[in-house]
Amino acid sequence: MNEPIMTDMRSEYSKSLIQAGKENSNIVVLGADTTDSLKTSEFGKEFPNRFFNVGIAEANLVTISAGLAISGKIPFASTYAIFLPGRAVDQIRNNIAYPSPSGKKGLNVKLVASHGGLSVGPDGGSHQQIEDIAIMRVIPNFRVFIPADTIAVSKLTQLMAKEYGPFYMRMARSKTPLIHSESQDFQIGKGITLRDGADCTIAACGITVRMALEAAESLQQEGISCRVLDIFSIKPIDHGILEKAARETGCIVTAEEHNIIGGMGSAVTESVSESYPVPIKRIGAQDMFGESARDDEINLLLEKHGITSFNMAKQVKEIRSKKL
Amino acid sequence: MGLNYYQIKKNVLRARKLVIKGTNSAGSGHPGGSFSMAEILGCLFNKYLKFDPKNPQWEDRDRLVLSKGHAAPGLFSNMAVAGYFPESEIETLRKFGSRLQGHPDLKCPGVEFCGGSLGTGLSYSIGIALAAKIDSKEHHVYTIIGDGESDEGQVWEAAMAAAKYKVDNLTVFLDRNFIQQDSYTEKIMPLDEKLEGDDFSEMWKDASRWKTGDKWRSFGWNVIEIDGHRIEQINAAIAKANATKGVPTIIISRTIKGKSIEHMEDNPQWHGKAPDSIFVPMINLELDSQFMIAPSIIAGDMSNLENEIKRCVSGRADYVHLDVMDGKFVPTKTFDHNKIKELRSLTVIPFDSHLMIDEPVKYVRDYVDAGSDIITVHAEVTDESSFGEIHDLLKQNQVGVGLAINPDTELPEWSYKFLNSLDQLIVMSVVPGKSGQKYIEETHAKMARLNLILKEHDFSGYIEADGGVNLENIGSIFADGARVFVGGGAIIGQQDVRAAIRDFRNEVLHSRRRILLDKSNELGGKDLVNKWIGLHVIGEKQEQIKKIAQEAGYL
Repeated sequence: MNEPIMTDMRSEYSKSLIQAGKENSNIVVLGADTTDSLKTSEFGKEFPNRFFNVGIAEANLVTISAGLAISGKIPFASTYAIFLPGRAVDQIRNNIAYPSPSGKKGLNVKLVASHGGLSVGPDGGSHQQIEDIAIMRVIPNFRVFIPADTIAVSKLTQLMAKEYGPFYMRMARSKTPLIHSESQDFQIGKGITLRDGADCTIAACGITVRMALEAAESLQQEGISCRVLDIFSIKPIDHGILEKAARETGCIVTAEEHNIIGGMGSAVTESVSESYPVPIKRIGAQDMFGESARDDEINLLLEKHGITSFNMAKQVKEIRSKKL
Repeated sequence: MGLNYYQIKKNVLRARKLVIKGTNSAGSGHPGGSFSMAEILGCLFNKYLKFDPKNPQWEDRDRLVLSKGHAAPGLFSNMAVAGYFPESEIETLRKFGSRLQGHPDLKCPGVEFCGGSLGTGLSYSIGIALAAKIDSKEHHVYTIIGDGESDEGQVWEAAMAAAKYKVDNLTVFLDRNFIQQDSYTEKIMPLDEKLEGDDFSEMWKDASRWKTGDKWRSFGWNVIEIDGHRIEQINAAIAKANATKGVPTIIISRTIKGKSIEHMEDNPQWHGKAPDSIFVPMINLELDSQFMIAPSIIAGDMSNLENEIKRCVSGRADYVHLDVMDGKFVPTKTFDHNKIKELRSLTVIPFDSHLMIDEPVKYVRDYVDAGSDIITVHAEVTDESSFGEIHDLLKQNQVGVGLAINPDTELPEWSYKFLNSLDQLIVMSVVPGKSGQKYIEETHAKMARLNLILKEHDFSGYIEADGGVNLENIGSIFADGARVFVGGGAIIGQQDVRAAIRDFRNEVLHSRRRILLDKSNELGGKDLVNKWIGLHVIGEKQEQIKKIAQEAGYL
C-alpha cells in the first residue's frame, strides 16, 4: 500500500463547522475549555454570538445545548470523549435523547468528541475513552458515528447539520490516514465496502480501517481474499451489508479501539447473529483500561490490545477454520 | 391576561385541589413540593406568563421550566386551570398512555422541559435564554428550582454561566421549602446552616442563619428574597426581576412544603406520597377554608397612618383594610384616595379599600389609580347599572371586586347576576361610621340566609366579616363562612399587633380544626376521626387536635 496521507480531524471538523455555520445561521457551537484543542474556537472568531465556552462543566455544556436546541438552534457541543459520554451521560440521556417534541425523536444536538479510544496516548488510561460507543449506542434516539478520516469527518459534519436529531461522533486525537475519496457518499446506517473479498470480512471503524486494509493486502499475498468494511455508522448499523458479508464470506473479524464489550464489534455481532450467524472474532481493548504511551509508542499500546493489522490477518486465518 | 389578587388565589386553590385529585387517583406523586410552589406558579400562570393554550408552540410565548420535575402535579394542575387540557385529564396522571407523565414531559403540549433528573433545568433555561438573545426575541424564561436539587453541582455550573452570559431574560425561583426526600435540607446538605437537633422551626425564625441568598449574590446574581406564599410579594419580585437588566435574577422564595394542609405542612413524609381517598373530603374542605386577617388602620392613630401601615407589615397582616368614609354615606369622614396613594409606597400588602361613600361609581377610578388591590362598594349606593360599570372597570384593571351590605340590608336581587364573578362580599356586622360597636348577633342568622343565596348563584368569592370581630366570636364567624376578617380595635387597637393577629389566626385555626373533625366524624365516625388526627405528626398539632375532638365528644 502507498504511504498514507495524514490529516487532522479536528482541523477538518472546525472547517466544516464554519462552512455549516455560514450556510445555516441556526448552527451554534459550544465547548468546555477545550475549544483551542478542538479548534472550535475558530467558529467563535467567525460567529462570536453563536459560540459558547462554558468552562470545565460538561454537564452544563450538554444541557445548555439542549435548551438551545428546543429553541430551534442546532448546537454542536464538543470536548474530549472521556468528558462527554464518560461524564455527562445523565444529561445526554435525559436532556437530549429523551425529550421528544411532537413528531421528533430527541433534541437536535450534535455531540462531537475528539480524543476517542486508546490512541489518545500520553494522557493515559484515565483519558482513553474505550466505553463511549457502548454508552452512546444504548441510548434510544442517538445515532453514533466513528469517521475513519477527515473526508468522513467533513461529510458527516455536513450531514449532521442537515439531518434532525441527536448524534454522537467520535474523532481520534492524532492525525489519521486518508482512506476515502472526495466523492465518497456517506449515508446514515450505510457501511462502505472498501475492498471486496470472498474468504473473510474485516469490519473496522476509525483508525482501524487503515489497519484492516493493510491486513487484507498482506492476506492477499497469501491467497486469502478479504473484504473490508468501514462501519462508520455504528448506530444505525448497516444490517444489509453485514448479512451480505456473512453470507458471502462466512466469517467476520471486527476491529476497533474500544472495549470489545458493547462497541462496534458487539453491534456487528448482534446484527449478524440475527440475520446470518457466522463465526466472529472481536478485536479491541480486551475489557481492560489503557495506559500512557508517547505518540511514537501508541502503536505499542495498540499492539498490547491486539489492535494491529498483523493481528487482524492472524485472526482472519484462525477464524476461517471455524466457518460453519 | 393578568388576573386580580382574588382570581389568582382562586386559581391557586383550583390547582391545589387538582393536585390532590391527580395524586390520589395515581396513588403516588409529589403533593408536598407541588403545594410549596403553588402560589409561585399561580402568579406566573395567571399574571405574568405570556402563553396561548390553544397554540402551545407560539414562538413568542414565555417559557416556564420546572426544574424540580417531581412537582409535576403542580405544573399540570396549573396547565389544566389555564386551559391547556380539561381538568378531568388530571385523573390520568402517572397512568399508562397518559400525556401527564410522572415527571413533566414534552408529550404534553405546553410543557417546555422534561424534568426529573434534578439539577439540569437551570442549564436548559440558559440555553433557551441564549437562543432568545441570539434571535433578539423578547420572551422571558422563568425557571423553578428546588432547594434539595441545589445539592447538584450542575446548578452551580449553571449559576456561573448565567452570570457570565448576562441572561437577564431569565428569572429563577428557588422553592426554598427546607425539605428534601430524606429529611430537612439543613440536615441532609445545608444550604444555609447545618441544623442541630430536630427543631426545624428554629431555622425558620432566625433570618440571620439564611445564607442561600449570599451564595447566589456571590455568583453574580440579582437576589430577591420573599415569602413564597404571598401573592403580592411574588408579584412585586417578578416585576422587580423583569426590570433588572444585565444580570439574571433569582427569587429565593421561602415556602412551606405541603402548604395549606396542616398535616402535610413541613412534614418530610409528604415529599412523595399521595393522599388516601378517605382523607380527600377533609383535605378539600381544608383547602376551601383558607383565611385572611385584614387589620383596619382607622382604628389606630389617624394622625400617623404611615405608622399603622408599618405595624400591619411587622404584624404580618394579610391585607390592609382601608375604611374610606366621606361624611355623607356615613356620618364620619376618614381619608380619600389621595391618602391611599401616599400609603401605597410603604408596603406591597394588598390594599383592601372599603368605600363607604356616596355615588362610588363617580370615584372608583381614583381608588384604582391609588393602588388598591380590592375595592368594595356598598349595595346601598349602587344599582345594577352603576355596579356593572364598577365591576367591569375593576376587572379590567386587575382589581378585586367587592360588594358590601350593611346590617339592615339584604343582598339586593340585582346583585345576583354578579355573584359568580364577585371576588369579595363584605357583610357588615356593625353599623358603619361609628367606632367601638359590638358585633350584631343577628349577623349569624343573616349569614345562614346569605349562604343559601350565594350557593344558588355560584358565588366563588370570599366573605369578609367587618365589625366587632374579636377573639371570642371569630371562630363562630369563620364557621358561618367568613374567610376574611377585619380587625379594628381588636388588632390595631392592641399594643402588639403581631401577637393580636397571631391570636386571631389561632382562634380561626381552632374553629377550622373542629370543622374538619366534624367532617371526619360525619363520614367515618370515631375511626376516621382517629385516623385524621393521626396524620398530624409534626409539632404539637396532634395533641391540640385530639383535645378539640375530645371536647366535641368524638373520642
